[in-house]
Amino acid sequence: MSDDEHSCGVHFGIFNIGGELPIQGAYRDICYQPVRDNIWTASEGIYRTIFLEGNKGCIAFDTFGTPGTAQAYQQAIGRVFPKKPIHTVVYSHEHLDHTGYAADLAPDAHIIAHDYANQVILGRKSDGQLAAHDTFLDERKAYDIDGCYFELIYPGLTHGDGNIAAYFPESKTVFMVDTVADGVGYTTLMDWHLTHYVPVMERFLSLDWDIWVPGHFWIITRPRFIEILDYWKRMFDFGQQAIIDGVDPHDWEGLNTYTDEKIGPLYSKEFRYYEYGAMNLSRYMQDYLTGGWGIEGNLKPTLGDL
Amino acid sequence: MPENRGLFTLDAAQAYLSAEPQMSTEQLSDRLYTVSDGQVRTIFLEGDSSVIAFDTFGTPGRARAYGKAVAAALPGKPIGTIIYSHDHLDHSGFAADLAPAAEIIADEMCARVIKLRQAEGQLQPTRVLAGERHELTIDGVELVLLNPGPTHGTGNLAAYFAQEKTFFSSDTILANARYGFMPDYHFCNFVCYMRGFLDLDWNRFVPGRYQITDRAGYEHGVDFIEAVMIECQHAFVNFVPIWAYEPMKAYCIDKLAERFGDLEGFEGHVGQMAIRIVHHYLMGGWGLEDTPEPRLLMANQISL
Repeated sequence: MSDDEHSCGVHFGIFNIGGELPIQGAYRDICYQPVRDNIWTASEGIYRTIFLEGNKGCIAFDTFGTPGTAQAYQQAIGRVFPKKPIHTVVYSHEHLDHTGYAADLAPDAHIIAHDYANQVILGRKSDGQLAAHDTFLDERKAYDIDGCYFELIYPGLTHGDGNIAAYFPESKTVFMVDTVADGVGYTTLMDWHLTHYVPVMERFLSLDWDIWVPGHFWIITRPRFIEILDYWKRMFDFGQQAIIDGVDPHDWEGLNTYTDEKIGPLYSKEFRYYEYGAMNLSRYMQDYLTGGWGIEGNLKPTLGDL
Repeated sequence: MPENRGLFTLDAAQAYLSAEPQMSTEQLSDRLYTVSDGQVRTIFLEGDSSVIAFDTFGTPGRARAYGKAVAAALPGKPIGTIIYSHDHLDHSGFAADLAPAAEIIADEMCARVIKLRQAEGQLQPTRVLAGERHELTIDGVELVLLNPGPTHGTGNLAAYFAQEKTFFSSDTILANARYGFMPDYHFCNFVCYMRGFLDLDWNRFVPGRYQITDRAGYEHGVDFIEAVMIECQHAFVNFVPIWAYEPMKAYCIDKLAERFGDLEGFEGHVGQMAIRIVHHYLMGGWGLEDTPEPRLLMANQISL
């Protein structure tokens, strides 16, 4: 369906059904709070991001995932810093639920992204997702924009394409989306590159930080980051063992029964375990049944200190 | 002697890898056969002096059982050629246990993934095909291999047999609804590519899993995937909690049971399918494979 054919009157992402798209325009209240120094965090309850106070304006990371939430995000930043417009947007990665609507957040802002993310954005041609003006391919690149210093780090493959962290060395803070967040993983670990995930995320332990701001839910500490990575490590053995034990990765009832018996005693108190423990297991099983997925899922992980 | 392990690292996997299931073989024409272990299905063909086998099944034991099924159907003819339908280990992971000396044909991108993966037992293709359509004659057998673009896995080759009016495509369309969480599917162009195969003249469809169906059954399967994609969008834009299994399952059953409730496994699987498919619209597709003009990111990082 082309732009001309769509009647909803808001940016429609990649939806190709006609008619109204109520969720796209829906307004959501955004709450916000200071993190440390010039770093603020914003959330609508599920998604989380950060924005920075500069000398003359603001730097917003990501856009939220609908035109309505992007506009609410813009208004939230405007409420905290009413005289400081958003002049720069940094994309954490290319997925629409985080970076799909710069056209609604700050259409004239300068946009920074990793080259891999931008390649996908250019190919996708999603309505409302703007291409970056400034891309990079290096593992680590420092920016000093309007009095805000930060380093963007591409540690290797994790989730999506061109997924970068923002590191604030003076504030000992890292922001990274859809990687480590509290609790078990989201559903079947959508677009995760599982082979890479643990060793690449462990690279962040070579940096000096004590605050980790994830792309969902609440901020976590360094010890909690390590505990969560341990869950991901152990799931590799659980995934193999489930296959050996004859579990069908597509048998929803069987997956839940097995997960409750084998994994529940260790992890049932984790946030969202009962929603997603079985889905997490199914995804890990697939890594052994099918092999890693695509070129990204089979490259050798990047290792070593950042 | 330990078995080829694929990617398994646990020693306890040996028994799983060794087990040889009962295989069920059916002759579809003078030279075309299909074989299944009860879940995975593939085909093989009788050449003038050898056998052309598609895929290997997903463990060393299953590969050996496949080899025995071929030998029982076509005694005295060795497997001279293996054609990989795609890169996944559950279909093409164990040529080393099926026919280690065979010529192996695969799509170029499939071959790149296999080279990167280095799974124990999965042999590197010896003949690589680049492009959408390949008309081949192998040991007297004429066949057409087709890869219109990303559907499932990497470098997924379908096979068309004009004389038999038969079409084979692995892990794309099924004759039932048992798709689970639809691992490694690429949805942006999926329905378009799969419907495009209907331009060919065939009346029998052999899928990579479960039972064979006819042209109408295949069309019903394509319609089903398309309908789930549409209803997932309606669920999303109308505030169904797309992150939760039960509400998505209930929504899709309500909307789709009348048209597709006849598909075996519908109620047990449509919720899983919906969870996966709705995230296509939430996230925007996964990687360059899942864009309107698909390519592969980082493909230049591995040479053949």
